[in-house]
Amino acid sequence: MDSKTPSLDFAIVGHSEDWKSIQKFINGIRTAELEPLPVDKIKEVFGFIPPREIFRITLRSKTGKEVTGVYIESFIDPDKLGVTYLRTNINKVKKAVILAAKLNAKRVALGGFTSILLEGNIDSFEEYDLKVTTGNTLTAAFIVKSVEKAVAESGQDLNSVKLLVIGATGDIGMACIQYFKGKVKKLILNARNKAKLENAEKELIEQGVNIALGNSLEDLIPEADVIISVASSNNIEIKNVREGVIICDAGYPKNLDLKFSDLKENLLFHGGMGKVSHGYWFRPDYSNFFYTYPDQFLAHGCVLEVIVLAFENVFENYSTGKGNITNKGIEEIYCWSLKHGVILAPFYNSRGLCNQGNNSNKK
Amino acid sequence: MEEVSYDFNNVETFNVVSDVFSQAITGELIGMSNFASLSGTIEDPYEKMEAVEHADSERHHAEGFLACSKKMGLNTKVNLNGEYWKSVREVFLKYAEKNDFISCLIIQEVMLESFAVSMYTDVGNALGGFPGELFLAIADEEKEHMEHSTEILQEELQKDPEGFISKFETIHFDCMTILSQFSATQDLRGHCGVCNGECMKNSLHHIGLDSVIMRGNALNLYAEALDKIGIPGDKSMVWIAKLPA
Repeated sequence: MDSKTPSLDFAIVGHSEDWKSIQKFINGIRTAELEPLPVDKIKEVFGFIPPREIFRITLRSKTGKEVTGVYIESFIDPDKLGVTYLRTNINKVKKAVILAAKLNAKRVALGGFTSILLEGNIDSFEEYDLKVTTGNTLTAAFIVKSVEKAVAESGQDLNSVKLLVIGATGDIGMACIQYFKGKVKKLILNARNKAKLENAEKELIEQGVNIALGNSLEDLIPEADVIISVASSNNIEIKNVREGVIICDAGYPKNLDLKFSDLKENLLFHGGMGKVSHGYWFRPDYSNFFYTYPDQFLAHGCVLEVIVLAFENVFENYSTGKGNITNKGIEEIYCWSLKHGVILAPFYNSRGLCNQGNNSNKK
Repeated sequence: MEEVSYDFNNVETFNVVSDVFSQAITGELIGMSNFASLSGTIEDPYEKMEAVEHADSERHHAEGFLACSKKMGLNTKVNLNGEYWKSVREVFLKYAEKNDFISCLIIQEVMLESFAVSMYTDVGNALGGFPGELFLAIADEEKEHMEHSTEILQEELQKDPEGFISKFETIHFDCMTILSQFSATQDLRGHCGVCNGECMKNSLHHIGLDSVIMRGNALNLYAEALDKIGIPGDKSMVWIAKLPA
């Protein structure tokens, strides 16, 4: 790209969470005159497509400022997020970042699963004139602030609740623990990696934090008043919850609500999400089949972080590595976010908006 | 040429290897015929010479595959009038008759070669031995053709971006639709007329291949070729999404 090409304020490297949304998008762009493709046909091709620009997006701040960026789809197969495919996926994300540089983007967010590249400190992309972020700080901020809000609305005191974090040794899980330690009655930690979990336990015990931990969710769930799930796994089973439990589903994919036949009076919401109060627009306009949520102008915290950084004109690598998110960082990005009208998303899940008045999931 | 012993585990393996060679020979002969036709219609002396050179290169490849199949004692079949190959040829001739060298280059050196390079590479790696080496060597040569054409097409894009992209889109749907139907899990327009028995795609597992992966790899290479030429990714993504599956 030559120097005359106007620069973009940001690029977002993302991936689709599930085949249902991919099918909606692909059939959306195939237009009405073509027969819609069944998901098995889409699966045959989707993961082979190299990363590419999908659309331009413009967002407006509360201050009136507008920023424009590009969404780059990594075309990571949602069924192939496991360790077996790590090398393939990392290569895809690297190609996507190189494309962002070619498109002259000033900063890049590696959203969702694509953040593995930065969390692993594999590459800082110093050879390109762009800054990178996982977006994990604002995601963590939206999670912790929404949990505080949900607890307050339920009439409970935060310092009386027992909080279970599923995926406790991941970057966002660690940030949640840092934030809530000393604020809740008890922290309950769960992760697949036993050694990492025990390390976390040791550190927290030394700090005098009341904690419990385990690999078996079945044993931990009944004790929890609040559950934050930030794990990247399709296989999380939530059973035997306490009545009135609050569940923040902020992992990948966000599908815990699909595993409950009846949520009763429990609140289960998709966490880590924000809302751009003053709106965003796609070019081409794919809003009918991409990023469709029960409310307007919602987006993932990781995506919104790079946008808030663009609004603030911050040009630095922001969220990188693992375990580096501080409470100060959470407050800083959340404060900037609110300044630009990027607020917490309303409570919702795949069934629609939650009725916040009585904390139930009935529409 | 003397026939040499090649280790076929069973008759299914023999049949599928025969069909793979049949497709490769037919494809190369289609390429040769395409450029031969073009060399007869275009006026520009440099383009004419280039077309002859391309035709000769495809002839060499066809000869190589024919010789190898003979050496292995395969039961190959050449059919330039098969359902899909004939359609590909007709599309090419449509542009050749208009003396449209650039469109012909797009069909042969971007679309057909993306599939050839990718599938020859997959077959070469799967077959191993001297037949595998032949497929890999021809894939390398075809790759060079692709790279050379990429430079020409990049220049064309620079001259008139909007016109070039619009032209490319039309050719994409003319030609890639056929290749997509041809390479789909099940032939979307019936038997290809080249394989001896039933569609070889159902038997590729006998030589460690999978038609879905082969097609995916080919589309990946095609998408990357478009990126290199400079076709915007948001456009090529929509073009690919609109292909039959």
